[in-house]
Amino acid sequence: MNQLIRNTALATVLFLGAGAAHAEWPADRPIEFIVAYAPGGGTDVMNRTLAPYIEKELGAKITILNRPGASGEIAYTAMTQARPDGYTVSSLNTPGYLTMQMDRKVRFDPKKLCLVARVVEDPGSFIVQASSKFNTLKDLVAYAKENPGAVTVGTTGLGTDEHLAMLQLEKAAGIDLTAVTFNGANEARTALLGGHVDTIGINVGEFVGNDHSAFKNLGQFAEERASIAPDLPTAKEQGLEVLMSSERGIAMSCDVPEEIRNRFSSAVEKALENPEFQAKAKQMSLAISYRSAEAWNKELPVRAERLGAIWKLAKEQK
Amino acid sequence: MNFVDLLMLGFSEALTPTNLGFCLLGALLGTLIGVLPGIGPTATIAVLLPITFYLPPLAGLIMLAGIYYGAQYGGSTTAILVNLPGEASSVVTAVDGYKMAQQGRAGSALAVAALGSFFAGTVATFGIAIAGPTLSSFALSFGPAEYVSLMLFGLLAATILARGPVLKAIGMILLGLLLGMVGIDASSGEERLTFGAVELFDGIDFVVIAIGLFGFAEIIENLENVEARGILVSKLSRLWPTREDFRRAWPAVLRGTGVGTLLGVLPGGGATLASFCAYSVEKKVSKRPQEFGDGAVEGVAGPEAANNAGAQSSFIPLLTLGIPSNNMMAMMLSAFIIHGITPGPTVLATQPEIFWGLVASMWIGNLMLVVINLPLIGVWVKLLTVPYRLLYPAILLFCCVGVYSINNRIFDVALAAGFGLLGYAFRKAKCEPGPLLLGFVLGPLLETNIRRALTISHGNPSVFVERPISLVLLIATAGVLLLMILPSFRKTREEAFQEEEA
Repeated sequence: MNQLIRNTALATVLFLGAGAAHAEWPADRPIEFIVAYAPGGGTDVMNRTLAPYIEKELGAKITILNRPGASGEIAYTAMTQARPDGYTVSSLNTPGYLTMQMDRKVRFDPKKLCLVARVVEDPGSFIVQASSKFNTLKDLVAYAKENPGAVTVGTTGLGTDEHLAMLQLEKAAGIDLTAVTFNGANEARTALLGGHVDTIGINVGEFVGNDHSAFKNLGQFAEERASIAPDLPTAKEQGLEVLMSSERGIAMSCDVPEEIRNRFSSAVEKALENPEFQAKAKQMSLAISYRSAEAWNKELPVRAERLGAIWKLAKEQK
Repeated sequence: MNFVDLLMLGFSEALTPTNLGFCLLGALLGTLIGVLPGIGPTATIAVLLPITFYLPPLAGLIMLAGIYYGAQYGGSTTAILVNLPGEASSVVTAVDGYKMAQQGRAGSALAVAALGSFFAGTVATFGIAIAGPTLSSFALSFGPAEYVSLMLFGLLAATILARGPVLKAIGMILLGLLLGMVGIDASSGEERLTFGAVELFDGIDFVVIAIGLFGFAEIIENLENVEARGILVSKLSRLWPTREDFRRAWPAVLRGTGVGTLLGVLPGGGATLASFCAYSVEKKVSKRPQEFGDGAVEGVAGPEAANNAGAQSSFIPLLTLGIPSNNMMAMMLSAFIIHGITPGPTVLATQPEIFWGLVASMWIGNLMLVVINLPLIGVWVKLLTVPYRLLYPAILLFCCVGVYSINNRIFDVALAAGFGLLGYAFRKAKCEPGPLLLGFVLGPLLETNIRRALTISHGNPSVFVERPISLVLLIATAGVLLLMILPSFRKTREEAFQEEEA
């Protein structure tokens, strides 16, 4: 009798095992989600929050693996080199993904990298101390016209979205600003609070999501006001042609069958609609703005072209 | 509400069974990861962050904070016992602490470290409560020019850190500066010293260098002579510090606490600088500078107090301004935001129970750590009696896992192994790795701040002397430099080292 039970159990295990081996994507094994930034950062926390909701939609298990470095290049390289079976996805952020390709040859083949879903589009903006004499971008432009080079702008490095926004503003208004580089938005905010720079570039989400009682926002660099900041005028409304936002999304290797990519994309879409996730996103001030694989792939070249033009400006200035 | 009422409110929040439980859990976890080399609090907290979703906000924050300061305690343990500093702040502890362990005084060093840390933690916690907002405005007055002067002072202090010829120390600092330059330069976008390796674009991680130079090099050297460990065990005498140790450690703890609380508030390298500065201060004021680097109890007490005080006071900018001063604090900020709390002046006024509850829990957590750690000292010291042939593969394994887990890549492990060989060569050449690490930490800060200061002033170098804090720091630097150059001082320094070698 015991022998029989044992044999049955063994057979069941074998059967289930064989069944699992034939199961279709995505139930086979956990999906590895490479996050291109360090643990604890904005991108990491966003993806860790979102992952359980994608799991629910796909009926799959997702494990997060941080592969930070070289503003995403290390993660993109790892993702495009992984087996194209749909079990490896990676986070993808612009403008970093686009600007890294402008200056040099990157280690991955951009043609092999396919966008799957955009999750967030967060416009850039300029903020000043609450006691500053500037209330709008116009005020800042007027002052900078009279005092060329006097206005200092804190950015987080050459070619970052704040820096590119600053170059756009310089060109749009015909002014001259001075860029001061900081290691990250927090250092820049500290310097602004201490009055060591006049203004800093910051994403609207970062501004709304933190205690901003000590700051004023001069305007956001979006086509339309972001859902998380409906009262903040855009630069366009102030007559200045400045468009700059950072996007966060998900990508896969193009060798992964299109059907799998699309299924992942629609799972993300449904996850974003989950009211439980939306409540969390609201708390974290995420400017959720979904784009399907198809729509985002179409939009990206336009963005790349615009960035390319600004990038040229940066090079000429140097 | 006045200060006492607020503190009472904080304690009543922190003393609920749930919060006490999570405080203990955090402190225990922190001690554990601190003892395992390389597995830092940042990675642990990142993994635990999503879990705090399901906890009440204060309980989650209390646990994460516990992991952070618990790791500071645990980190000192490995620095003292096996010469393996897990993070920048315990590099200095390793210098004299490990020497003490080799002399059979490991118990004494561990006890002094634990008690000194507890005292510093207590003072810094009350410091946060009383002077938090004032201290944060002090931190804000530190602009790029002030940082430049502070870093120059710090680099000069690094030459004091080392034993032996000043020239070697300066050489090591310069090497550290060079290593600090590796990576993409943020203001020009150019690659520097990366040799085309994408893995080097963001520079070399501190842990990679520290584990290589200290951990791996130590193991290689120990394997050279099989007998070394045996001698150590036989000399293991007492677990508790002598009366003399206490008498000497006490003032050092006081000074370390002061230095740590003040520097910990500064964003960037503040907390790291604190332990280095405390060491220099101790060596300067000591009547027996020759004992430093050779098992001076002050060399453990001062820096340990400073790094713990610094760890506590680095919460000040986060809680009062909403700005994190280092990666760890950025992680804490994420934890706050997940719960819909945005730290800063507004929260201080509208949700005082969060701020004060966290402050009170930090004191309770520190108390717990002493209670946990003092009886454990016996256990840790027993670890030294494990034959080295069994111990070193374990250390090696933990080092490799730790280095790998920073960025999840094998490149870093290979790099650390390279630094291990370099560290071994340094030991043979009698060059101390301490100044190199300080140069490595301070170099990039110095460089970026010089550029910032000069960009803001449009290239006018007079900013460094026009701003009062910067001027005072520069004068202090010049003073120390003068003292070093003056012949009488040089003589005593040389005498000191001759005595030491004798």
